[in-house]
Amino acid sequence: MSAAQRFVTRAGTVVLVEESHAIPLVDVTAVLRTGALADPKGREGLARIAARMLRMGTATRSAEETEEALERLGASLSIDVSHGTIRFMGSVIARSFPAFLKLFGEILTAPALRSKDLARVRRESIADLAQQLDNDRWLASRAFRSALFGDHPYARSPLGTTTTLKRIHREDVASFLDHHVTAPNLVLGISGDIDTASLPDLVESALGPLSRRKVAPLALATPQRVRGRRLVVVDKPARSQTQMFVGTLGSRLRDPDFHTLLVANTAFGGTFSAPLVQEVRARRGYSYSASSRLGADREREAWTLYTHPSSENAASCLALELELVDRFVSRGPRASELRFAKSYLVKSHAFDLDTPQKRLEPRVESEVHGLPRSFHERFVERVGEVELDAARAAIHRRLSSDDLTIAVVATSRDVVASLRGLVDEVRVVPFNRV
Amino acid sequence: MGTARPLRTNAKTKPPVLLAEHPFGSTLRVLRYRLDNGLTILVLRDPSAPIVSFHTWFRVGSRHEKPGKTGQAHLLEHLMFIETESLAEGEFDRLLEAQGGESNAATWTDWTYYYENLPVSSWKLAVKLESGRMNGLVLGPKRVASEKEVVESERRDRVDDDVDGAVSEKLYASVFGRGHPYGWPTIGWMRDIKGFSIGDCRRFYRAHYAPNHATIVVAGDADPDDVVKTLAREYGAFPSSPAPALAPMVVPTLRAEKRLEMRWPTPTEKLAVGWVAPAFAERDHAVLAVLTHVLASGRSARLHVDLVREREIASDVRMSVAPFREASLVDAWVSLREGHTGEQALRALDLQLERIAKEEVSREELDKVKNGLELSFLGGLETVPGKAEQIGFSETVVGDPSHAFVRLEEYRSVTAADLRRVAAGVLRRDARTVVHVRRGRA
Repeated sequence: MSAAQRFVTRAGTVVLVEESHAIPLVDVTAVLRTGALADPKGREGLARIAARMLRMGTATRSAEETEEALERLGASLSIDVSHGTIRFMGSVIARSFPAFLKLFGEILTAPALRSKDLARVRRESIADLAQQLDNDRWLASRAFRSALFGDHPYARSPLGTTTTLKRIHREDVASFLDHHVTAPNLVLGISGDIDTASLPDLVESALGPLSRRKVAPLALATPQRVRGRRLVVVDKPARSQTQMFVGTLGSRLRDPDFHTLLVANTAFGGTFSAPLVQEVRARRGYSYSASSRLGADREREAWTLYTHPSSENAASCLALELELVDRFVSRGPRASELRFAKSYLVKSHAFDLDTPQKRLEPRVESEVHGLPRSFHERFVERVGEVELDAARAAIHRRLSSDDLTIAVVATSRDVVASLRGLVDEVRVVPFNRV
Repeated sequence: MGTARPLRTNAKTKPPVLLAEHPFGSTLRVLRYRLDNGLTILVLRDPSAPIVSFHTWFRVGSRHEKPGKTGQAHLLEHLMFIETESLAEGEFDRLLEAQGGESNAATWTDWTYYYENLPVSSWKLAVKLESGRMNGLVLGPKRVASEKEVVESERRDRVDDDVDGAVSEKLYASVFGRGHPYGWPTIGWMRDIKGFSIGDCRRFYRAHYAPNHATIVVAGDADPDDVVKTLAREYGAFPSSPAPALAPMVVPTLRAEKRLEMRWPTPTEKLAVGWVAPAFAERDHAVLAVLTHVLASGRSARLHVDLVREREIASDVRMSVAPFREASLVDAWVSLREGHTGEQALRALDLQLERIAKEEVSREELDKVKNGLELSFLGGLETVPGKAEQIGFSETVVGDPSHAFVRLEEYRSVTAADLRRVAAGVLRRDARTVVHVRRGRA
């Protein structure tokens, strides 16, 4: 990698660059290595509140002036807070890039943190929580993660709860930002129509005031598998269909068999030709969406199946999914299915690299998670090397068909009786108590 | 059982001549060809990535349906992926995914389009797949029945259990009328979806899926000469079919405000307001796009500042203008906070609409919005599939594959006086429909 593609600021921020002059647009991704995992117990939602406070004005601008300034430049900026990262995603018309970077630096290094703005952000965040009650898929996902991860921090929502949001004060926000927003804790990715030669000076000028302090990674326990097949029904009135998540613990990014499991999951439910999609959607028409996903993080994330059958078909669809998981875990994919998944992943890799931003993204991810560059650079080789026996062994080692968590959003009286016989335990919670 | 028209596989086809070159930005060109059977071919050579995006746009959508048969265009879109005379059930996806390709389709009021994105080395697979289903679709009873269930599932997910979808459906049906081609939902009424027969599907396919009703767009790193020769060889023998009669669309004129209510199991009230708007190709549609951005796009937009930031009565405010051929719908959507009502939102919305119809928007505010629209325009051109979609949409709706660039110029030309004139003329109280969602059982 040339010096133009990667450099480190004097204070310690790694900057990754992907230059392309195809269109006059620049994308900026900045990732802080912190997130909801750093929320103190009882103050869940702090990372998200703190991130939102960054765009509520700077030492020299009000919140309104900050938003005006961004939009006048022809720029957009969104902030996403996950368990392990706070991610800033910006796009800007190329001619405004230097001004945008300067403004972004101001947002990051000189937030005003006015108490009245914190009160407003808190009220907005509580209103967001109420809005989420309209989103049945989100409710199902929340119930699923809560049941799967139990007391582990992966169970918490980055949104927090009304109770925890009310406990967050200005000192909490200031302390969080002071601790986590430092140069070595930030990875900056810039792609698109940029002049690489002038970039180091622009970045130094924008991010120069960041602290040089290194931030130790948070201690994180290993999630424990929940025994048995446990169902949570989120009861919501007047539902004509269900939202259904089925799953168990998945993988760590650093697990030596991560790529093997990724291929195995693709063979099971990662393409339209995969057995899960064929059986649930194509043959029976149970659900418009049907897919499986292998989550992976520092610790073991979730392996999940997602469908949304009608209330009428919920039991048949769940029985089918359990049968498919049983077969997958006990026998693994067929040789032909594994070959197909490998071919798909290798050949579709072209679409992971067809824009400057997409080419940059895996490099940013590797840097954020401290993964070797080969993790993404050798993706095609690693996928190509996966053998059937290794796939079966990895499935057997990591996944389970006996210990499954199931979350279903539905009108409970329409589904509970028919679902009860398929699981070891059923719990019903109202949708506004998830 | 096949539904194909006669296919003259040995017919000789002459290579088409280049009809026009359309500039697509400063460096790219769209090449236009037409086969004798009426198939339009648009080719964009774009070497920015080693991929090809292959789009087939049919000039058929839900406006071509009849009351009682709503959702036919969309159901057929689903059925197009299942089986053809040369590909057994499931082979379409297997062949495509084996090459690392991706495929999907979309249906709206005026069009249906299908695409395949493939690595450049295997782009001709898209020709095989698409030509096979344009002229040789197989519709069997079992798969039509199961695909109807899939569409019912899609409808439950997007409309019946989703407050945004349910409100949008009610708004369109009220503004245009349930029996108007823009008034019924593209996904169809549930009763109509359940009622489709194989015969319905075959008749619709035969009427609308012919080369003279389609445009193929090939964008990416493929050689244009090779593209044109290949398409002429594979599609040249397909027969054209007469265009189905389509009655001229009557655009409704609302002379009095309509107010509707619905109940939903939601913690917060919602408000949706809709107005009939000009067709996409008209300049005032671009003016409306700028207007909706002034009002509701971004955190510094007027409605966001007023309703979300200052009054704190809403958590979300959006506006959009539908991009339809004959007439559009502009709508405003407010999701309220707990304890606040749709009436409050409507009063606040009215004040902002009165203001924009009376006072000129400042030069700075207008420039800000134009920069935002330029950013969106550039975002749409970031990928090869994005460019193919722009070309296909523009050709199908406006008849100009480079219209996105014309549109950008239209945005740039919008004046403060335009905004006042269009706000006063379109966003009128006596020409609007209001849907108010209250808390309760649906």
